[in-house]
Amino acid sequence: MANIILKNVSIEFPIYHANARSLKKQFLRLSTGGKLLQTAKSLSVKALSEINLHIEHGDRIGLVGHNGAGKSTLLRVLSRIYEPTEGYLNIEGSVSPLLDLMFGIEPESTGYENIFTRGLLLGHTRKKIYEKIDEIADFTGLGDYLSVPIRTYSAGMRLRLAFGVATSIAPEILVLDEVVGTGDLAFMEKAKARMNQLIEQSSIVVIATHSEKMMKEVCNKVVVLKAGKIEFYGDVKEGIEKYHESTANQ
Amino acid sequence: MSSITEKMPTRFQLALKDIFDGLKNWPIWILLSWQDIRLRYRRSQLGPFWITISMAITIYTMGFLYGHLFRTPIQNYFPFLAAGMLAWNLISLLIIEETNAFIEADNFLKQIKLPYSVFVLRIISRCFIIFLHNIVVIIPLFFIFHIQVTWAILFIVPSLLLIFINAFCYGLILAAIGARYRDVAQLITSVIQVIFFITPIMWNPAILPEKYHIWIMLNPFAQYVEILRAPLMSTLPTMYSINAVLFMTLVGMILSSLLMLRVRHRIIYWL
Repeated sequence: MANIILKNVSIEFPIYHANARSLKKQFLRLSTGGKLLQTAKSLSVKALSEINLHIEHGDRIGLVGHNGAGKSTLLRVLSRIYEPTEGYLNIEGSVSPLLDLMFGIEPESTGYENIFTRGLLLGHTRKKIYEKIDEIADFTGLGDYLSVPIRTYSAGMRLRLAFGVATSIAPEILVLDEVVGTGDLAFMEKAKARMNQLIEQSSIVVIATHSEKMMKEVCNKVVVLKAGKIEFYGDVKEGIEKYHESTANQ
Repeated sequence: MSSITEKMPTRFQLALKDIFDGLKNWPIWILLSWQDIRLRYRRSQLGPFWITISMAITIYTMGFLYGHLFRTPIQNYFPFLAAGMLAWNLISLLIIEETNAFIEADNFLKQIKLPYSVFVLRIISRCFIIFLHNIVVIIPLFFIFHIQVTWAILFIVPSLLLIFINAFCYGLILAAIGARYRDVAQLITSVIQVIFFITPIMWNPAILPEKYHIWIMLNPFAQYVEILRAPLMSTLPTMYSINAVLFMTLVGMILSSLLMLRVRHRIIYWL
């Protein structure tokens, strides 16, 4: 049984003065959300503060909020990438994040090599990847192109490949950032079907999205984030209203 | 299910888990390191054999030049220099590249949860692949200078194993410090040049007056070089060097576990 519990989870990013460039980047992030904390010798950004969340087996969570509200940070916490600086976090079940579709894709390697690399990085065994490789090849519809370096691919072809690999094996907990937006139309239909299948097979799904349609179709609960805090957690319809309200207030 | 007690794994358990999971994930780091090598030499006709060729050029020119400069019998000096250079090349490459291990891997670390140690092991594996390409350079010297091949040559296996363990322990430390303090990588690159000159690689310790030998004994790099160089010349390393390296291995294990225990969970915030 997959299960996720967060109790008073906070995430604080240190900012080091020595690194002016990253400092600038952090300030740019600040202008859109987050909270600046300054102690005697160090500067830090509180990206998430006191998050309490209980996600149970079967939940499909839609995550909404403005840019910089902490959506990506929360997704990374749920993917076990950021360990909370404060609070308690317990995740039961294997997590597979789908934050950047193009992650681990190496332009100089062939399509098949990329399928293999990405599969290993996502934690699948060689055997499982070999089992899936035909199915992935079939889905991408790239045929013989899979044997040539993917730097020769068009953007759409790369996307098909990346999407095909990333969605091939369903994890227990699926963490998604903003679903795909490019590619030709025929592929979009196929991608949608595949994404729905992936979502169905996972025990828990957390999606950061701006699409109301997606939330209504897929999710059973909504989390509204604002400046690193949970403003609302519950029913989809109510959540979307809350989200609109906070937009209107700005 | 309902009785969820707050049983978070301790930091110690997580640090240990990171190290063992990293070793267990060998298909990933072997694959990544091979990919690194392949990409570096993509579309070149000779591919990774350029590693061997450039090493051969360096060693053979240096061997002749310094052999004459130092006025030492070339049949003694040449193999000594070649084996020493191979050893040094591996050690210095490990140190320099490991400092960047986490920085280089930041797009991986921010996208997916993988043990941190995987990225140190990737660097080690990459450096070992380069070393195995380089080692070919020494073979002709065995014929040219009629070096007797003895069982001592097999000592290379335990030597490489010791270097691997040391590279792993100190690599975790270097990678973590390198991620937190970005100046360290620059510092190490310049310090390593100095170490090359003060370590007996280009010059034989025999030419140094007896009273300065203590400085060689105290130089940890001299011991690492020695345990690799000796078997490459088909001799056994000195007992002192073996013991010194074993001692440093132990120190490295303790230091790296202490550091991982303290900072592992912070590394991601430094990238």
